[in-house]
Amino acid sequence: MLKSKFAGTGLLLRTYLRRDWLRILFWFLGLAGLMVGAAGKFDTLYGDAKALASITTTLKTPAMVSMFGPFPDAKTYTSGLVYAAMMMVFMGLFTAMMNIYFAVKNSRAEEDTGVSELISAHAVGRWSQLLAATLEIVLINVLIGAVEAVGLQAAGMTGANMEGNWLFGMGLAAFGIMFAAFSLLCAQIVSSGRSATMLSYGVLGILYVARMATDVKNPDLSWYTIFGWIEKFDIYRNNNWGPLFLMLGLALIVFIIAFAIAATRDVGSGILPQGKGRRGASPLLRGPFGLIARLERMSTIVWLVALFGLGASYGSIFANIGDLLKSNPTMAKVLGSAATASANRTIVLSFAGTLAIIFAVTATVPALLTMLRLNSDEKKGYLEQLHARGISRLHLYSAHLVYAVLIGTAALVLGVLGMALAGNATMDRAIALSRFMRAVYGYWPALMLVIGFAALLAGALPRFQSLVWILPIYGVFSLYIGKLLDLPEWAGKLTPFGWINNVPTAQVDWGAAGWMTAAALVMMVLGYICYRQRDLKIN
Amino acid sequence: MTEPVVNIQHLQKNFGSFHALKDITLDVQPGEVFGFIGPNGAGKSTTIRTLLGILKASGGSARIFGMDVWKDAVAIHKRIAYVPGDVYLWPNLSGGEAIDLFLRLSGQKHSARTDELIKLFDLDVRKKCRSYSKGNRQKVALIAAFSTQADLYIFDEPTSGLDPLMEEIFQKQVLALKDAGKSVLLSSHILSEVERMCDRIGIIRAGEIVETGSLADMRKLSRTNITVQTKDALDSVSQLPAVHGFTPDAKVANKASFAVDSEELDGVIAALGKLTIVSLQSTPPTLEDLFLRYYNQKGDEGDAQK
Repeated sequence: MLKSKFAGTGLLLRTYLRRDWLRILFWFLGLAGLMVGAAGKFDTLYGDAKALASITTTLKTPAMVSMFGPFPDAKTYTSGLVYAAMMMVFMGLFTAMMNIYFAVKNSRAEEDTGVSELISAHAVGRWSQLLAATLEIVLINVLIGAVEAVGLQAAGMTGANMEGNWLFGMGLAAFGIMFAAFSLLCAQIVSSGRSATMLSYGVLGILYVARMATDVKNPDLSWYTIFGWIEKFDIYRNNNWGPLFLMLGLALIVFIIAFAIAATRDVGSGILPQGKGRRGASPLLRGPFGLIARLERMSTIVWLVALFGLGASYGSIFANIGDLLKSNPTMAKVLGSAATASANRTIVLSFAGTLAIIFAVTATVPALLTMLRLNSDEKKGYLEQLHARGISRLHLYSAHLVYAVLIGTAALVLGVLGMALAGNATMDRAIALSRFMRAVYGYWPALMLVIGFAALLAGALPRFQSLVWILPIYGVFSLYIGKLLDLPEWAGKLTPFGWINNVPTAQVDWGAAGWMTAAALVMMVLGYICYRQRDLKIN
Repeated sequence: MTEPVVNIQHLQKNFGSFHALKDITLDVQPGEVFGFIGPNGAGKSTTIRTLLGILKASGGSARIFGMDVWKDAVAIHKRIAYVPGDVYLWPNLSGGEAIDLFLRLSGQKHSARTDELIKLFDLDVRKKCRSYSKGNRQKVALIAAFSTQADLYIFDEPTSGLDPLMEEIFQKQVLALKDAGKSVLLSSHILSEVERMCDRIGIIRAGEIVETGSLADMRKLSRTNITVQTKDALDSVSQLPAVHGFTPDAKVANKASFAVDSEELDGVIAALGKLTIVSLQSTPPTLEDLFLRYYNQKGDEGDAQK
């Protein structure tokens, strides 16, 4: 009986692996490569006591804790210990992203395209597709985890030990499997791949931000944030395996719930009820722009609220970050109260600059999603009806572009605004809003350049348009940890986000802003010229 | 002579090294229903997409209302209505929203006619497009098209997802357009549909138009099926060059079925008369026969796309 529910799982698993091997390889090289590459550099970067002391002071500041997790108190620090403290949360974030990608792709997205229906019609069990997807994900995580462990072993950092290396690799694997379970559950609840991805990222975002808040205020509370479990391995010191079992246990429970829902729901639908739609269109729905706005309505609201929330949650720890008295009492004593206040202000502004990059990169995501719809909707056949009516290509192209620019800009503004408002609410000495807004003016041209690049790709090379995602992904990587890994300066300049000067601490460089915006406009126009020339249907 | 509504001259379209359209020449006259028939992959949809300016022609010319389909696409599109064979709609819009949107994009309004059509096609407009079947999605596009005031209506296999009742309604609506003097380009491989509605047809095969003309003209060019029983042996008739697929009846002597080239019918009947006819049935060629003839005859070259 049970066997028949899982019939054909092995065959499906092999098919999935054969189909996905290139994607798996891509993530594999990215994650394991990043981890092992960084481990190989750490002994040279933080070999001597002076470098170690400097990095530990940096990582202990609340700003850094908010991004990388709490830094352990130890009598003597080693490069291995610093590595573990710095890389864990960061790697966990990326591992979770990989798992959301594969979990949604192999469950919900498969139903959207109708492939599931075809498969279900064969001698395949009710749970086989979900089980095959689960097994594939477990396999990917364990494999990457093992390679990471072996890689750490080979890097042989000072202070590292074999148990810690394996706990690191397997801990990330367990963390990934747990997020895959969350995502598979999300996929059962909602009724499309897009919504499943959004819901999964929502869960990840909330847990991540909760961890940030508890880490800065009281790391013990991070146990309640689930994401915080990843910090509790205490690698290379106590090598605590407890959280790993906690993660696997929770994953198992969530998997069981997901399977239970999958057993009762119809293929192609979620468990949330589908409301009735409107009888006719609202007066606003009359052209391509109104159409995009209508289609993106829900996701626009979610993105804008999310950005504001992200900004506000970072802002809410400004008081802790700009508190030199607490983080470095000796220095505060030496400086005196007036100078301390000014130093606090500098710290907050520089932290705000780092955050602005995060907001700008995040703001590109909804903008790019909108811009790339120009071809993805075409491929799905949605636009054919538009072409046959009196809608010019310019109209269609510019509607996508304008909406992309608007939502990107609004997201960036709201991120910075949320940060500024929450920050000023918690800090004793508020910083003028206009000062924070420099971050918006500073990073807006970079946002435009990325959208411009997306528009150019969408117009000229529609088949390769997803390459544009390299810009934000690399942007996060190079600016998040590039400095700590001591990457050469040019490595940070590969993305437009690296071309912006030190706002809001410094004045906005209007010259750079001008030429970057001009370059973005040129790319947008070029994209249109190519779009006008080509076949719309890409076979 | 009036100017044709659609005028296609030696149209070509290549996708890389693949020649999807090799040589398409046809025209649609004002007020006529033109049937565009051919098997899957012969190039019907590619021709129509080129006409709509979605694909750019590689050679030849295509004009609608005397305007270039690529350069003047927007001006042309204001005067046409189009229903594709596969209708895809945004999953989170309701059917009613989609219909209104399509009408507004053509500068039209939701009218009493629209409501009438919604009733006629029996569509629940409040459902999200996500939950529509293929046939229901097609209804959305058909309702929008039929309630659009246009000069030319283009249908690309519009009934492939409809049930026979809806197909009937579709045919009535097309005939109503015809009565109103509108021009229609209807691509299909459902031959009975074409036979019933179309004034003229064009047969497309592997990217080329192999025949155009009225059904009556084509019938002349095709074969009549004959089943005959005679007193004398049929051997002499079976040898005639105009007789094809001669199959003697297994049970009855001197009885056989065969096809005759319609132009040569006279001679064959005369030859049969000499053998003393006992019974004779003749069936005029259906469009199916015509169609199959074109495809089987030249079948060696390969029919569909590779």
